[in-house]
Amino acid sequence: MAKKRVAKKRVLLVDDNSAVRSFVRQLFEVEPDYEIAGEAENGQDAVEKAENLKPDLIILDLSMPVMTGLDAAPLLRKLLPDTRIILFTVQQGSEVERLARAAGIHAVVPKDQAASNLILQAQVLLASVKQEHHPAKLRNAS
Amino acid sequence: MTDQDTSRPQNIKYPHWQREFEAALLEGDPQTLRQRVDAAETAIFLRSQALVGSAQGHAEQQAISDAIRTLRAIQKEKLGYPDWNK
Repeated sequence: MAKKRVAKKRVLLVDDNSAVRSFVRQLFEVEPDYEIAGEAENGQDAVEKAENLKPDLIILDLSMPVMTGLDAAPLLRKLLPDTRIILFTVQQGSEVERLARAAGIHAVVPKDQAASNLILQAQVLLASVKQEHHPAKLRNAS
Repeated sequence: MTDQDTSRPQNIKYPHWQREFEAALLEGDPQTLRQRVDAAETAIFLRSQALVGSAQGHAEQQAISDAIRTLRAIQKEKLGYPDWNK
């Protein structure tokens, strides 16, 4: 009997530092529910690749050459309204949070927090997409 | 070994990332600077991960915050990164 396959969530990693991308890639690759759809090294590269890759989740750095994460986020939201975006950054504080929200970013995870927070945040955000797409099921369940 | 040798371990307070950070600060070649900054960022990132949950690393975390600010200034002023906080 064929097993029912659950589609893995596709992740686009965006960071100008290849070592950070590699670190995050390894983090997600051990999780059975995710696959890395691609990598981009700046905001502009991310916008170009996202259009083809159509990821469920984008892990976005803030400070990058060519185009910052904050400049890329509104373009990504316009292109892929259902895609969730996490800003993964060394920059911290309420100003970063405020700017991120204004740019349409769903969550900010500081790079000095446990990397597992990135996975937790991804799970929370992608669960919220599921709820938005299946409200009837939720109503029936309650 | 001479007195001018700055690579001696006693001159390095934070051995996991300080060498890479200082190498970025001292780099004069624009072609190599991006690599140095990336190496410093990587070392700082990995060290930050190692310090998660550590009650001992407060002084080092403050030093890391200062180093990040400096690297950000180098990225903007010398590497032409756009300013995200316009």
